[in-house]
Amino acid sequence: MQPGELPRTVLPEAARTAFVRMRGITKSFYGARANDGVDFTLQGGEIHALLGENGAGKSTLMNVLTGLYQPDSGEIAIEGHVRRIASPADAIEAGIGMVHQHFKLVPAFTVAENIHLGWNETPFRLDPASLAARTQALSDRFGLAVSPGARVADLSAGEQQRVEILRVLARGTRILVLDEPTAVLTPAEVRALFAALRAFRADGNAVILISHKLGEVLEIADALTVMRAGRSVATGSTAGASRSSLARLIIGDTAIPATVARNETDVPGAQAVPLALRGVSVRDHRGIALLDGVDLDVRAGEILGIAGVAGNGQRALSEVLTGCVRPDAGDVLLDGDASGPRGAREFADWGVGHIPEDRLRTALAADLPLGENAVLRDYRGDAAGSGPFLFPRRLARLARRIIDDAAVNLRDSRIPARNLSGGNQQRLVAERERRIASRVLVAAYPTRGLDVGAVAALHAGMQALRASGVGVVLISEEIEELLAQADRIAVLFAGRIAGILPVAQADAERLGLLMSGQVLPEPVS
Amino acid sequence: MRGFVVQRVPSVSGRVRNAAYAVSALVAVFVAGLLLAALGLHPLALGGSVLKQSLGSRFGVQDLLLLASPLVMCGLSVSLMLRVGLWNIGADGQFYVGAACAAGVALFGPHGSPLLVQITMGLAAMAGGALWIAVPALARLLLGTSEIIATLLLNFVARLGLDWLVTGPWRDPHGMAAAQTARIPDPLPKLPRDWHLGGLHWGLAVVLGLAALLAAAFRFTRWGFELRICGANRDTAAYAGMNVRRRLFQAMLLGGAIAGLGGMLELSGTVHRLQSGLSNGYGYVGIIVAVLAASSPLGCVFTGLLMALVLNAGLVLQTQGVPSSAALALTGLILLFAAIGERLAHYRIVPTRPVAGAGGVA
Repeated sequence: MQPGELPRTVLPEAARTAFVRMRGITKSFYGARANDGVDFTLQGGEIHALLGENGAGKSTLMNVLTGLYQPDSGEIAIEGHVRRIASPADAIEAGIGMVHQHFKLVPAFTVAENIHLGWNETPFRLDPASLAARTQALSDRFGLAVSPGARVADLSAGEQQRVEILRVLARGTRILVLDEPTAVLTPAEVRALFAALRAFRADGNAVILISHKLGEVLEIADALTVMRAGRSVATGSTAGASRSSLARLIIGDTAIPATVARNETDVPGAQAVPLALRGVSVRDHRGIALLDGVDLDVRAGEILGIAGVAGNGQRALSEVLTGCVRPDAGDVLLDGDASGPRGAREFADWGVGHIPEDRLRTALAADLPLGENAVLRDYRGDAAGSGPFLFPRRLARLARRIIDDAAVNLRDSRIPARNLSGGNQQRLVAERERRIASRVLVAAYPTRGLDVGAVAALHAGMQALRASGVGVVLISEEIEELLAQADRIAVLFAGRIAGILPVAQADAERLGLLMSGQVLPEPVS
Repeated sequence: MRGFVVQRVPSVSGRVRNAAYAVSALVAVFVAGLLLAALGLHPLALGGSVLKQSLGSRFGVQDLLLLASPLVMCGLSVSLMLRVGLWNIGADGQFYVGAACAAGVALFGPHGSPLLVQITMGLAAMAGGALWIAVPALARLLLGTSEIIATLLLNFVARLGLDWLVTGPWRDPHGMAAAQTARIPDPLPKLPRDWHLGGLHWGLAVVLGLAALLAAAFRFTRWGFELRICGANRDTAAYAGMNVRRRLFQAMLLGGAIAGLGGMLELSGTVHRLQSGLSNGYGYVGIIVAVLAASSPLGCVFTGLLMALVLNAGLVLQTQGVPSSAALALTGLILLFAAIGERLAHYRIVPTRPVAGAGGVA
């Protein structure tokens, strides 16, 4: 099929044999129906967006398609033939490849090793040079820049995702499933990815795109399916659809939450600077500077946005601001004092909350039950015990309260955190950290992968903290989010603060210039 | 289309797992019976005599408890380290070093009140066990060396070092045996006679008390909570402000100390002298004890008794003309089937329902 003849509408069933036809897929977990009789059809040569709120059942449906889960009932036909996809290996054989929202790479291996892991085209004799050369060739072919020799553990989230996508594309996938692929990419990287996807589609392949970003969906998708509460509620062409019509389909009859507006009023005591960096530098184990002479004031009662392309020192910045990492040079001032608390525990006790970049690897112990994860901060407080002792019943009550306040959809505190959807995991982390953030909250990409409602709730929570005099550091790649939420925006480039703009002077263009390392035409105070 | 599919559930409750272990143990015994029958023996009669000799008399039960004590101690040592996600393969070596330190105190230390001597022996044994694991612990924390290999290798050093002691400098000058020290002057006292457990010593109470103490520490202290988090995800523990390295180091040293104390109890309570082969592979059986108990301290008491019963059964079988390797095979079978059972407990069979018509598209 030529790119020019791409169907913009879904043809009648009889006309063509669908690439993928899923019928009546039902899958329950712990008695809750994650998928309830879902039908889903994917044609060749189309990019098909799968939309829905967190927990609507999108990931479950795709895990069924890719063989990670077996459906309780229902059938899957690939190119007209009913098949049982019993394992991811079956799925790969059927030409289905998935890039998950949560990375599935081996952190201790290099990029080249991860690409070649479990691949039948991997040469029998392994030598690093040829693996690196093969990886470089793949990287060039699909337009996804990776450094073959780097260890995955050392990569930023954005870089890791590029490796994930490359790994799947390398296996000759014809049906590519992407779960929130653009959440960790910069605008330029998104453009490159979309170009790669269009080329992929032009070869007659198909893409299933799970996304919350409706603008992107309208830009790239040909067809879409909307899921709500485990059912597919609408399917059809993207032609004629608008952001608002899609949002209504996704949320259903409930009111669409208004975007949370920035609170313009000044907060009493807003001139205080609870947390500040002076000339802070952080180096990695190879001695390469992650942060280089950073000066930054976090003021009480403000939201300080940190803009920048992922991998420019955001992780080191959030770790230094929360005491997880001590700077190699420079001072971290708490209330102007450099001789105060020093470790993550002391920072937390002093009132610094931390929503880290990597939910499943850092913020949560994924194999432990929700209850234990909920009290990861509070287990040391008086509400949980006394002295060295812990009272299990009080701890359970505390966990119950935190889980309820976080409005997590699975209410059984004994379920492993891994079994929560990404959005619900983030709800739990955000609530847990909000509770301890009496002075400062450092949030790294907190809205990544969240649906409209969850984003609004998170923003409202941050604005409420601001109003109560807490200094909030919001690290984000979404310029729109920063412009809407922050009072000041600092731009991080190559480990340095490229500039700090009050939001009144900031716009997408100026921030974009700073993010790409260029100096603004006029000096900024 | 009607049929059944096998489904994996990500996590199972403790009750399901325990049931799986019980079924596995029964299957293992059944398979062992088949093997015995294949050897031309009568499995039911043999089983009957095993049960009769182990559980049918007061002496049998006392023997069982005496054998279970060191197994439970080693199991507790391994369990504590499993709590933080580390493997103590070296409980055997720590057991030997602990016994040797206790023997040194008993044979060459100053005489005092019996209680004081026992306490000193216990402390020396714990210090010895902790010191023996300190090297692998430091190597693990500072250099990232695998604690599995390091603790395992030190077992051989400890065993050979003990052999040197009991055949060389500490050998009983007046005795006939080639590889043992003199009897220690003040062994651990027996339990009161009117408890009708005449053969048993106070070490049993120490074992039970320690198991209860550890169980309480895991459940009722913030320290126990931190160990659990450190074991589940070290990055998360560090992020939450826990001192991960300190917790790992504490768990390792304490694990070594518990195994060392096990050596002291065996020496002072049961054997009364240091001798070659004092630990009959107890440290290794302790790994099975801990794994079967899913690293629960109270569970270790039960699985320790179970393993003691299995080892005892081997001895009984030997007297009935079954090769000694058969007993070893039986322990292996139990572990194998328990491991299979633990895996299988994650699966359940569900009937597939027919597809409920077409439709549903809005």
